[in-house]
Amino acid sequence: MASLIACPHCGPRPKEEFTVRGDAGITRPAPDAGEDAWHAYVYLRDNPRGRHKEHWHHTSGCRRWLVVERDTMTHTIHAVSDASAEGATA
Amino acid sequence: MADFALLHRPALAGAKAGSFGAPSTGARITLTALPEGHVLQVLAARDSDHLQDLIPRIGDGSPHAVRPYGPGQWFVIGDAALSAAEIFGKTPLLDGMASISDQGHGRIRIGISGRAVETVLAKGTAVDLDRASFPVGRSAMTLIGHISALITRTGAESFELLVLRGFAESLWDELIQMSLEFGVDARATQ
Ligand SMILES: [Zn+2]
Repeated sequence: MASLIACPHCGPRPKEEFTVRGDAGITRPAPDAGEDAWHAYVYLRDNPRGRHKEHWHHTSGCRRWLVVERDTMTHTIHAVSDASAEGATA
Repeated sequence: MADFALLHRPALAGAKAGSFGAPSTGARITLTALPEGHVLQVLAARDSDHLQDLIPRIGDGSPHAVRPYGPGQWFVIGDAALSAAEIFGKTPLLDGMASISDQGHGRIRIGISGRAVETVLAKGTAVDLDRASFPVGRSAMTLIGHISALITRTGAESFELLVLRGFAESLWDELIQMSLEFGVDARATQ
């Protein structure tokens, strides 16, 4: 796991200051989307090798939700942005 | 009507006090329990950085009274205790663009100073505290060890830490440990 995350608000911080929520690419289904769609949304996740976007919460810093794009194989951080900047509300 | 009186006891009243560690290195650390005056948490919408100039209105005008720690988030701090009515009376000063929450019961201030103060704090946090990147007046919310705290530089060799009340004595004890190699004078009385 990458160890230094460059928070856009706080600067570089160790991963211990963050809480990882998981995949930032999934979208909340409509309330009546049906059991399969909701099962997939709640339980099913890909396990990608390579670039991956996740929601990270800067719990012990600015308390903002961020989108961290990292490489699951090399631990390289490609980009960090405030989640609200992308309109991500899932 | 209360059946019994609630007594306010300073969080660090019973904390370890005295001189510890190396006898004299010329870089001694001083730890001070600061007055439990007022701690106001101010929250606004995320695109509220323009409110920066508005927030000092609710402060007491002292240096470092306003401490930003994230988008639309500030702590406003002072030595004087404020009544609920006095705090409520400050709300109109923010023109309805931010809310105030009294955290005076919940957070404690610790002063730490001395020539080696950056070295001591660097044992606990990854924030770059060098004066060039962390000038007087700058604040950062971070972890010191496993304890969350707001660090504010108040001078060339002095910082203030704002920590949750229940963690104050743990942090105090850890700061003494972290300072032993330089020698440390801990003043828990207020
Ligand atoms: Zn942050």
